[in-house]
Amino acid sequence: MKVFEPDQKVKIRLKINGKLYETEVEPRRLLVHVLRDLGFTGVHIGCDTSNCGACTVIMNGRSVKSCTVLAVEADGADILTVEGLASDGKLHPIQEAFWDKHALQCGYCTPGMIMEAYWLLKENPNPTEEEIREGISGNLCRCTGYQNIIEAIKEAAEKMRQGQ
Amino acid sequence: MYPPKFGYVIPDNIKEALEFLESHEDAKVLAGGHSLIPMLKLRLLRPSYLVEIRRLSDLSYIKLDGDTYKIGALTTHYDISKAKIPLLSETASKIGDPQVRNMGTIGGSISHADPAADYPAALIALDAQVKIISTKGERVVPISSFIKDIFTTDLNPGEIVSEIQFKNLKDYKFSYQKLERRAGDFAIVGVAVALKMSGDVIDDIRIGLTAVGNGPIRPTKAEEAIKGKRPTDDVLDQVGEIAMSYANPKADIRGSAEYKKKMVKVLTKRAILTAIQR
Ligand SMILES: Cc1cc2nc3c(=O)[nH]c(=O)nc-3n(C[C@H](O)[C@H](O)[C@H](O)COP(=O)(O)OP(=O)(O)OC[C@H]3O[C@@H](n4cnc5c(N)ncnc54)[C@H](O)[C@@H]3O)c2cc1C
Ligand code: FES
Ligand code: FES
Repeated sequence: MKVFEPDQKVKIRLKINGKLYETEVEPRRLLVHVLRDLGFTGVHIGCDTSNCGACTVIMNGRSVKSCTVLAVEADGADILTVEGLASDGKLHPIQEAFWDKHALQCGYCTPGMIMEAYWLLKENPNPTEEEIREGISGNLCRCTGYQNIIEAIKEAAEKMRQGQ
Repeated sequence: MYPPKFGYVIPDNIKEALEFLESHEDAKVLAGGHSLIPMLKLRLLRPSYLVEIRRLSDLSYIKLDGDTYKIGALTTHYDISKAKIPLLSETASKIGDPQVRNMGTIGGSISHADPAADYPAALIALDAQVKIISTKGERVVPISSFIKDIFTTDLNPGEIVSEIQFKNLKDYKFSYQKLERRAGDFAIVGVAVALKMSGDVIDDIRIGLTAVGNGPIRPTKAEEAIKGKRPTDDVLDQVGEIAMSYANPKADIRGSAEYKKKMVKVLTKRAILTAIQR
């Protein structure tokens, strides 16, 4: 059993977008703050009250709101942020579809929206419009009215099914 | 928003967690954290230590043991929603949003005892039992006495929920009707129904209400009013009316007390009709 006192720093290791990071945190530190401090500023803080989903990342294969996870809890976890989606300078099909379909205006919700869409399509590669709406119900957008986001996720789903 | 300072304990097993809790009354267990962390951020709680149990995988399971479902306290809403358990899986799928369901656990939900939580409606309809463990041993209590009041349970210091148990309602049809202001919100009113048909007559029925009292409500007289009968409009009206008489909701941002009461009638009828049509 490990016991850490309130002021004691805890050493944690995180695998973020495939690379290992080691850092020290107070037990009360939130994962979102640690990710941002490590340079992953695509992880946004929108509401800080677990509602908006701007802080969504994939942790051990499941989407989570990183403002509602303690960094100590994530010790040893495998984390994917929006910065880890593109590979070899090529955007991920979801990113591309958001571009194509004009699925963003201010862009604040976008990284969280894209990460939730990523998890949704992994779970359900061929979602109906209803399933897409339910799938992003934990992500708020104050600009777009959602319509283009839904169109983008549909397009991404199709491209990904075709293996592009 | 930052939570207040607290110490952090990572036990290697349940026994260590229970021993630590026994000797630290003001420590709190951390399961999915999706009620606890928001409360800490709002500084509504100041525990001395958080005892992390989320990763104790031996409390995360769904077993069908004979005709009894046994669900580990740390099983996530997501895992329950995918398990095709009569009534409970549908209820789990309507909790919060996908990210909340990926982290939140059934043990955490009932221990938090939010009067608008979804599971309690299904669990009271299922006559579920809650297994509680501590260094002193274990005990089992029905969900109706486990949830004692708003945010208040039967748990004593040093005790944690380890399992939820209920009979598999194999030949039942079911429906959980959740009225919400918008997707992802807590229920304005929630009604869970499981029923068994024999021909066109309702042979058995269980009804559970949430968000309309200090804890979940089982309107047994409403159940009696339809058992052995055909679900005609008149009978459904009567059942809804009786269910409504059990409700004692409070007015809040989600609606007036009167509106919520009326919605109990509407949703009870809707849940019964939806279940029958399945
Ligand atoms: C944005 C948002 C929307 C939500 N919407 C809904 C909704 O629509 N419906 C709904 O029902 N819920 C909703 N919730 C609450 C959610 O379901 C929580 O997951 C749940 O209430 C608590 O479970 P947890 O595992 O996260 O518990 P935690 O937050 O870890 O713990 C909650 C409390 O229970 C105690 N505890 C935890 N596990 C145990 C145990 N095994 N034994 C004893 N005590 C224990 C903790 O010490 C703490 O006091 C929502 C939450 C959020 C953040
Ligand atoms: S910042 Fe995490 S949900 Fe809004
Ligand atoms: S694009 Fe501005 S919040 Fe979504």
